[in-house]
Amino acid sequence: MINTANGMMSTASSSSNAQSPGLKTYFKTPEGRYKLHYEKTHPSGLLHYPHGKTVTQVTLAHLKDKPAPSTPTASSSSSFSTSSGVRSAAARLLGASNGSRLSFVGGNGASKSVSASSRVGSLVASSSSNSTSTSNFDGKGSYLIFNVGDAIFISDLNTQDKDPIKSIHFSNSNPVCHAFDQDAKDGHDLIIGLNSGDVYSVSLRQQLQDVGKKLVGAQHYNKDGSVSNSRCTSIAWVPGGDGTFVVAHVDGNLYVYEKSKEGAGDSSFPVIKDQAHFSVAHARYSKSNPIARWHICQGSINSIAFSTDGAYLATVGRDGYLRVFDYSKEQLICGGKSYYGAQLCCAWSMDGKYILAGGEDDLVQVWSMEDRKVVAWGEGHNSWVSGVAFDSYWSSPNSEGIGETIMYRFGSVGQDTQLLLWDLEMDEIVVPLRRCPPGGSPTYSTGSQSSHWDSALPVGTLQPAPSIRDVPKISPLVAHRVHTEPLSGVMFTQESVLTVCREGNIKIWMRPGVSESQSSNGETMLSPSLKEKPLLSSKVGSASHKQ
Amino acid sequence: MGAAGSKLEKALGDQFPEGERYFGLENFGNTCYCNSVLQALYFCVPFREQLLEYYSSSKNIGDAEENLLTCLADLFTQISSQKKKTGVIAPKRFVQRLKKQNELFRSYMHQDAHEFLNFLLNELVDILEKEAQAAKSDQETSSPPEKMANGPKIAQANGSHKDPLVTWVHRNFQGILTNETRCLRCETVTARDETFLDLSLDIEQNSSITSCLKNFSSTETLNAEDKFFCDKCCSLQEAQKRMKIKKPPHVLVIHLKRFKYIEQLGRYKKLSYRVVFPLELKLSNTVEDAESEYSLFAVVVHVGSGPNHGHYVSLVKSHNHWLFFDDENVEMIDESAVQTFFGSAQEYSSNTDHGYILFYESLTTNNKS
Repeated sequence: MINTANGMMSTASSSSNAQSPGLKTYFKTPEGRYKLHYEKTHPSGLLHYPHGKTVTQVTLAHLKDKPAPSTPTASSSSSFSTSSGVRSAAARLLGASNGSRLSFVGGNGASKSVSASSRVGSLVASSSSNSTSTSNFDGKGSYLIFNVGDAIFISDLNTQDKDPIKSIHFSNSNPVCHAFDQDAKDGHDLIIGLNSGDVYSVSLRQQLQDVGKKLVGAQHYNKDGSVSNSRCTSIAWVPGGDGTFVVAHVDGNLYVYEKSKEGAGDSSFPVIKDQAHFSVAHARYSKSNPIARWHICQGSINSIAFSTDGAYLATVGRDGYLRVFDYSKEQLICGGKSYYGAQLCCAWSMDGKYILAGGEDDLVQVWSMEDRKVVAWGEGHNSWVSGVAFDSYWSSPNSEGIGETIMYRFGSVGQDTQLLLWDLEMDEIVVPLRRCPPGGSPTYSTGSQSSHWDSALPVGTLQPAPSIRDVPKISPLVAHRVHTEPLSGVMFTQESVLTVCREGNIKIWMRPGVSESQSSNGETMLSPSLKEKPLLSSKVGSASHKQ
Repeated sequence: MGAAGSKLEKALGDQFPEGERYFGLENFGNTCYCNSVLQALYFCVPFREQLLEYYSSSKNIGDAEENLLTCLADLFTQISSQKKKTGVIAPKRFVQRLKKQNELFRSYMHQDAHEFLNFLLNELVDILEKEAQAAKSDQETSSPPEKMANGPKIAQANGSHKDPLVTWVHRNFQGILTNETRCLRCETVTARDETFLDLSLDIEQNSSITSCLKNFSSTETLNAEDKFFCDKCCSLQEAQKRMKIKKPPHVLVIHLKRFKYIEQLGRYKKLSYRVVFPLELKLSNTVEDAESEYSLFAVVVHVGSGPNHGHYVSLVKSHNHWLFFDDENVEMIDESAVQTFFGSAQEYSSNTDHGYILFYESLTTNNKS
């Protein structure tokens, strides 16, 4: 029963969000029009950046009906689950476990914050002012969790309200990445990584039920950066990992934590001997949390993503490499370099066959797990690619029973403020003929992909940047300028595409054929075909860095 | 200032690169355009080394007539031979010489850093060419002709008979553009080569350097008022034109055209567009698939909202550390701070620090020229 002091927030936010001229509220695709349905933003008037600016990431969270016995951690007080009669299947299918990408910007300044809450005035909410549908957080619902400045905001996905229903302020540092576990066994399903390196796990429901502006019932890891004071960049639950999660940092390390485990005793790790190489160190004591440190690369890890089954972990970073690890074996499997520059985002296809990566070469890279190489470059962005995602809900209009080829649909967003949609059909991609360089100069040999063309590579081999003429290029189906600010992430849901910009404005674009009335009700989305699909791991990437 | 120096030394600690000097440059009244470019050039290591080498080998000749080249070499020698590792130096002689040489820079008005860089490099080339000519005429009195068969110099398509001299300034900064024009009637392609010491790129809001380079080389159709005289057709014809890089330079200097003449306003305006530049870059608009990778080592930043005032600072990468030079002050910065100089995604923004000239060095060492 929360509800924020709504009037104030909305007036504040309206200014920041004025539709800029030239931005259309729809875009066309072969299957029809995507229409701008909702926008979500934050009260800009209240924003302040005591710790520098950050780049917004979004996490989609579907809360299921609360199970009858209330979980130990969630505050047990108010449980008139009004909607408890409804089975929770729908929400489950929509599911999101999610990862996200992160980024940041500024330095960590001295702390002084606290002020926001007082300025807002009391949120002692008489729950009346807000849309009534969300007044009881014991029921199910879909929420967008996003960070801006020193705050985490939570918005209801399925209401028209632009303003968040909840804000959580952090006094010591900026939250920069977060992830939600759809299948969390106990209450803690939301994890949040900070600029300072600190990490929290909390129950989302409990946050929604609380009226304050602080995190409640949180478990605090890496307190005050005791294990690592390097900025968090990306955080993810290990799928099926029974409460384990991993946090990537700017210093090239990734830490593995176990939820709710007190980090008792010495949790220091040995000095990294070789900065340039992958190494894993386990905690010396069984009580320690984090339980392991993976040193991945020199320079920042900008984004991480688990394959849907949790078997593989992909990372991209400052050094331009995409790396794929066998998570349980703690082993580097394969990887390759961007054309040039850092990579900023990555995402898996639902079937685990392809990984998308994007970065500072303006390209969307399609990595094949089978071939262990880049199989296509998407050319179409006019600036860095900051978010990529497969559309796991999309099925090719004529796909039923025709041929063996699987078509994939994916989306990418960039700092050029554009959303691009792409179709990927591997059979149609033509590997360019290796034409002889003019003048017969011996450009062939140098680091070109050709030597790896057919041979099976030893496990753990990282490929050099491919030569430009060795990689097939694909063009986008649609390119649409969706925001005025550079984008930081994209994500697909059953009924929509979500785009988010660095400054924390989110747009929800309804798919063609989804009627507006339908969309606000989670249950109508249940269609038989959906059940075939594995859970979507919805992830919104976002650019890293910058101010 | 001494305190600032020691602060930098402390920050670097035992990581202070052997033999390297980090010195701020004093400002003599709006000479930040000069200081920012000088720092970028000083930390262009091949340029610095060749300048110092040239200086030490030619000093003995003793002709010691002061010019911009000797003043620059003096200054660089002065910096590199300092006992202290950090501090401040007054580039007095250099600035005086510059003002003497070119009235443009004589006033105390705000100057354009790119114009200065351009002037300086061309001036250095002129001086070196004159010296070479003088040396040559000395020699040629003894053995006159012989000059034509002088190895694989770059063939000038437009057949200037003066064999262009390739100085060490050229070897660092010079690249060759080829301007291909295809007559749409007879399909004949006319290629005209031209050399460049830097590339001036038009910029767009929320774009990348990669994209600006692509636009630079995009095909342009010449028609209507602007037709092309085709030698084969002997008449004005519609044609397609594009610029490609035939020979990429060892040091690629990219100038972002942030100062644009707005006709309606009748004056120049600063474009604060957000143009992202990666720390590593490859050129895609080349004639051959040049896959050589460049690494960013310096950025000259214009601070301010208009073209006629403001300030220049520079960011420099030296031995894998990024440094911030603001006239006398030198500070260490994090690599990620470079991203705060991309520009503004919205037109009216409080951020006025914008990357203006970018310096990339090729990572491939075999610099054929």
